[in-house]
Formats: sequence, C-alpha cells, structure tokens
Amino acid sequence: MSSPQFDPVPMAPSHGAGAVDSPSAPEPSAEQSNPIRDAIAGAIAEHRVILFMKGTPEAPACGFSARTVAILQSLDTAFAAVDILPDPRIRQELSALSSWPTIPQLFVDGELVGGCDIVTEMYESGELEQALS
Amino acid sequence: MRGGHAGGAPGEGLPWSLMPSPQEIKQRIETAIPGSEAEVEDLTGGGDHFRATITAEAFAGLSRIEQHRLIYGVFGEEIGGPIHALTLKTIIPSTISTP
Repeated sequence: MSSPQFDPVPMAPSHGAGAVDSPSAPEPSAEQSNPIRDAIAGAIAEHRVILFMKGTPEAPACGFSARTVAILQSLDTAFAAVDILPDPRIRQELSALSSWPTIPQLFVDGELVGGCDIVTEMYESGELEQALS
Repeated sequence: MRGGHAGGAPGEGLPWSLMPSPQEIKQRIETAIPGSEAEVEDLTGGGDHFRATITAEAFAGLSRIEQHRLIYGVFGEEIGGPIHALTLKTIIPSTISTP
C-alpha cells in the first residue's frame, strides 16, 4: 500500500499574508465539504495575481515554476505564491478546480491564465503585461 | 533511478508504466485530434519531459487555455505521472499569416 504523505505542514503563501490557512484534518467521510479546495478558491479570490508553484519564488523547485516567477518579477508584478509541494492534496484539488493538470498555474483576477507555456507566450507578445496592468 | 520518475503521486501499478516515446505521443495527439499535425521532441532524453508543437484547425475559436486543455485531455492522468512535463505550442493553420 502506498501511503500518501499527509504532511501536516500547511501550504505557505510565501508572499502576502496567510492566504491559505492550514486545512484542518478533513473528516474521513467528508462528502461535499472540501476544506482544501475551499482554501484554494479563497486564495484565488483574495489575490489579484496568484501563482501556484513548486517551491517558493526564492527557491523554485522546478524549472517551469522558476521561469514563470522570473517573468512575473521582470514585470515588477506583485503576486502571491503558494507552494504546492508540502501536501499532495493541494495539487490534486487545484487541478480539479482549474481543470489544468500541470504546475505552475497563474491566476489573475480569479481566472486561470495558464501555465508556463502560455505565460511565456503571453509575455513575449506583450499580452501578459496588459493582463497584469 | 531510471523509470522511477513518475513518483510524487501516490499511485502504484499504473497501467502506463512504460515510458512513452515522442513518436507515441505524436500519434496519440494526431489520432485524437483529426487533421492535426504534431511535432514532438523529448527535451531531456529521459522519456518524461516533452515538447509538442501542434497545428490543428480544431483550435480555431478556442482560447489558449482551451487549446492546451484539449491536448492535455488526450493524456489524462499521465500528465504529471509518466509524462512529467509536456510543453505545448498550439498553432491554427488558417491564422499562419505572420507579418
């Protein structure tokens, strides 16, 4: 049996205040209530620009996340960042919410803008700067 | 090390334990999206990071997000599993009139 690591470490927004609180342990038979997904949706609603990534902006854990951070930083964009690595459920719920399988995911004004490829394309065409302004 | 890269997800005994080849990924995209043409390369040689450029009229009228979802949808849960990364570029043939 593989045991998913339900590491109790809460996801830590590395910019901005505690956007996503530590989800308390879900009841084993939680049907509809989904605290992690709610917390993610709340964070997306609360932050105009929010990046879900592997690692932190200071220490990205994946090249695609690193590139996306670098693009945002080059545009002097303030953004909240959520590291998805501490708990596998974060990624699961995020992808379920966004219908997007990969990380990073950039949201602006509550909408999924895209992952690294789309962000890069939009950066190169100038669309990203527009979307962020 | 080799073959163990699908880790991260607590899955085991996945039906797609074999590493997909660029050729296989190309064929699956072209089969799933009629009229499409895909170029696929293995970015690292490790059989898990790919880049695909897909030209398809089926993308017309879709946002970039929707275009990429269409492709991701071909692979379902393999994305993030054995296909660790799939970098996408989508092209609509009728709009190729680059200045």
